[in-house]
Amino acid sequence: MKKRLLKRNAAALLTLMLCLFLAGCVGNQETVLTIGVYSGSYWNTPNGNSYQILDDVITLFEQSHPGVKVEYVSGIPAGDYSEWLAEQIMKGTEPDLYFVLPEDFDLLVSSGALAELDERIAGDPEVDTAVYYEPCLRSGQFQGRQYALPHESVPTIMFVNKTLLETNGIDIPGNDWTWEDFYNICAQITHVDLRQYGVYGYSWLDAMYSNGAALFSEDGRSCYLAEENVQQAIQFTKRLGELNGGYSVSVRDFDLGRVAFRPLLYSEYRAYQPYPWRVKKYSAFQWDCVTMPAGPSGSNASELRTMMLGISSRTRHEDLAWELCKLLSIDENVQRELYTHSHGISPLPAVAEDPELLLQIHHDIPEGSGFSPEMIHRIMSSAVVVPKFDAYDQAMIMVESAIQEAAGNQLGQSGMLIAQSEINIFLNKS
Amino acid sequence: MKTERNLTNLAVAMFVLNLSILSFYSLICVTTTFRICDSLSAHDFLTSVRQIPRYPWQMPVQSLGLYAVLCGVSFFKLFRPIEHFPLRVFVCAAEIALCAGIIVSLNFYYSGVALLVLADLVHYMRSNRMRLCFIVILSLMFAFGRYEIVEQFTNSIAFDAYLGYYNPMIQSCFTGLESLMVCLNIILFVLYMILLFTGQKEENARIRKLNEQLNQANDQLRDYAVNMERMTQMRERNRLAREIHDTLGHTLTGIIMGADAGLALMDVAPEESRKRIQIVAQSARDGLTDVRRSIKALRPDALEHSSLAEALEGMIENFRLTTSAQIAYDQEAGTLNLDSDEEDALYRAVQEGLTNAVRHGRADRISVRVTRTGDLVTVSIRDNGIGCAKLEEGFGLRHMRERLNMLGGTLSYGNLDSGSQNGYTGFFITVGLPIRNKKGE
Repeated sequence: MKKRLLKRNAAALLTLMLCLFLAGCVGNQETVLTIGVYSGSYWNTPNGNSYQILDDVITLFEQSHPGVKVEYVSGIPAGDYSEWLAEQIMKGTEPDLYFVLPEDFDLLVSSGALAELDERIAGDPEVDTAVYYEPCLRSGQFQGRQYALPHESVPTIMFVNKTLLETNGIDIPGNDWTWEDFYNICAQITHVDLRQYGVYGYSWLDAMYSNGAALFSEDGRSCYLAEENVQQAIQFTKRLGELNGGYSVSVRDFDLGRVAFRPLLYSEYRAYQPYPWRVKKYSAFQWDCVTMPAGPSGSNASELRTMMLGISSRTRHEDLAWELCKLLSIDENVQRELYTHSHGISPLPAVAEDPELLLQIHHDIPEGSGFSPEMIHRIMSSAVVVPKFDAYDQAMIMVESAIQEAAGNQLGQSGMLIAQSEINIFLNKS
Repeated sequence: MKTERNLTNLAVAMFVLNLSILSFYSLICVTTTFRICDSLSAHDFLTSVRQIPRYPWQMPVQSLGLYAVLCGVSFFKLFRPIEHFPLRVFVCAAEIALCAGIIVSLNFYYSGVALLVLADLVHYMRSNRMRLCFIVILSLMFAFGRYEIVEQFTNSIAFDAYLGYYNPMIQSCFTGLESLMVCLNIILFVLYMILLFTGQKEENARIRKLNEQLNQANDQLRDYAVNMERMTQMRERNRLAREIHDTLGHTLTGIIMGADAGLALMDVAPEESRKRIQIVAQSARDGLTDVRRSIKALRPDALEHSSLAEALEGMIENFRLTTSAQIAYDQEAGTLNLDSDEEDALYRAVQEGLTNAVRHGRADRISVRVTRTGDLVTVSIRDNGIGCAKLEEGFGLRHMRERLNMLGGTLSYGNLDSGSQNGYTGFFITVGLPIRNKKGE
């Protein structure tokens, strides 16, 4: 009698548990899509409400996709984002969709963490890659395949100390100036005894990008160190350095208004040019920005850095992740909001070159901005995307030491050729 | 039996050892993954391996899960023997598939499970061809299921990459433990194989010995049967001798003495002599009765109480019932009034023929015909059995021939051609017997 009672109780309990389990399954049908995002700005600029745009996009997305909930982990500083993402990948808990920092793109693609998007792009009638600036789109490509879509780009531009130039009676250079113009102005400005200098932080790489040169091939198998246009860039920066008579210009000199030029990220221009931030930095002098000076065999091009969006290769919600990715990357309304609140340039020409929007963005800049729609178009379409590959950092160290060595001895071209073949051997081994 | 127990112990040891090895790899990979994350070196690790690792839970869950199933299958077939051969092969194939699954789920770090499965299957399957098949497949899996070999084709992270996280001291401890366990597995496998094959050799020797003993016993039995037959003949002969001595000897002695007395008294007292001769005649008649009684003691019981026709019918009916063979019986000879020895001969011939048809020919349809032409009675027996490949006169047929020859009859037998009448293709026996008493015509 007791046994039977026990049996019946056990059966009832089991049924109850099964019902609960089924109810749990049915109740939990809400799909959770995760997105990996960093807080603050990646571009070295203050950004008060970094999640505002994302939250708006998520609300929009959840409204158009009932039953889907988008979640993200907040409070990961941009500087820790790479490590955080790597940890998530190690633990197998990486988000379905995540922001890809320019320096992580190569690692994420070559380790297979990012899903290839070519088929999706080809199969989606809403996506036309022609709506992007070509260099922005190219940032998300690896060996000819698309792995990420651009979200926001930042080119390098040249900061000009207007006050210094005016006091020396020099006109502010136009956006189509050349190395020679640049050198001449620097030569005029530089008075070592007056502690007045031409340029701070202009590297031979900056010169190289504006001289139509590339240091490495796209696949990272060959180095072009000894090429004519690379050598021109190295020689040019050397000449510029010689103007200072051996003095190494510091950031303090620049902040005190004693330096005429300094390469700057476009985002910093956006952040510090309008009120109230302009009070915070470089308040002692008037300043503006122009394009980088063009080399003899190049244009006014500069390096472009692009924040991208990639889909995890292991996601179980690839379709949803793709929808959200599209919304963040290609949706004009979202990009407009981003353009207004963040400090980069939209990868969509239709947004980036919208005169009304530009007016709104630049309205705080006294005397207006030199960045007209045509200017932005020129900068963005000619921008240089630096190919990154596994051995990039190591190869860069080898290039730098080769240049230093060449400066020490007088081997010149032949020394560079030897260094180039050594680096080529290293690149093909790794 | 002792060997079998040792084998089971070794197998259990191998199962436990492999479980430890699987747990070792899983544990190292999982804990190292989390340690790497905790020490903020995940980005460096990814940069060095350039490969996304599998989900941390995947290796322990998959490898240990598959291993549990493998153990289950292995022990199930030990305790529940499977008779059906294809099913046995299927179970073996399932074990091989599980083994492959375990090796893959362990990222090819360890392929020693193949040895465990090989030992298990070689013990289970006794067919040499199957064994060879297993040895080839599993040896290949053991040899080629190594990370170093499949590295180019798989996108998993090398075990050394995980070990690289630790300092050299701990690293060497782990590698030492790893190679120790892998070696121990190989040693256990070799021991298992040695024990298995020596054990089988002993068993073969034992079977050979038992076979010899059986053959000996068979020979003894055959000798015994021959002796038995000889003794039966002897006893029958003694009985006949005793019968002859008791009846004929006694009667003839009396007749001789009576006849002698009659001769002696013939002239002196003819009356007395006649009396004596009458006694002699009576004595001879009594003797004859005795002889008849003796012979009757050797006759079939059926003939004792009924006529030949009835006796044959009874016997055939009995035969039908006991053997379930279809027997067609045609008596076309009319009323037969035969002497008892002639009845005996025919009765025994039919009996022997039916018995042979069923016993040697394995027939299920038999025809028996009795016909008479003049004073010759013919009995023919045909069947649809397998006939006789080698026509050799056995004891029964020889006896039949002797019996018939004594009465001036004939016996012929042989295989029937396929084209012969009534569709009988087996064996035939034809008996011809000239009858002495022509009254029954």
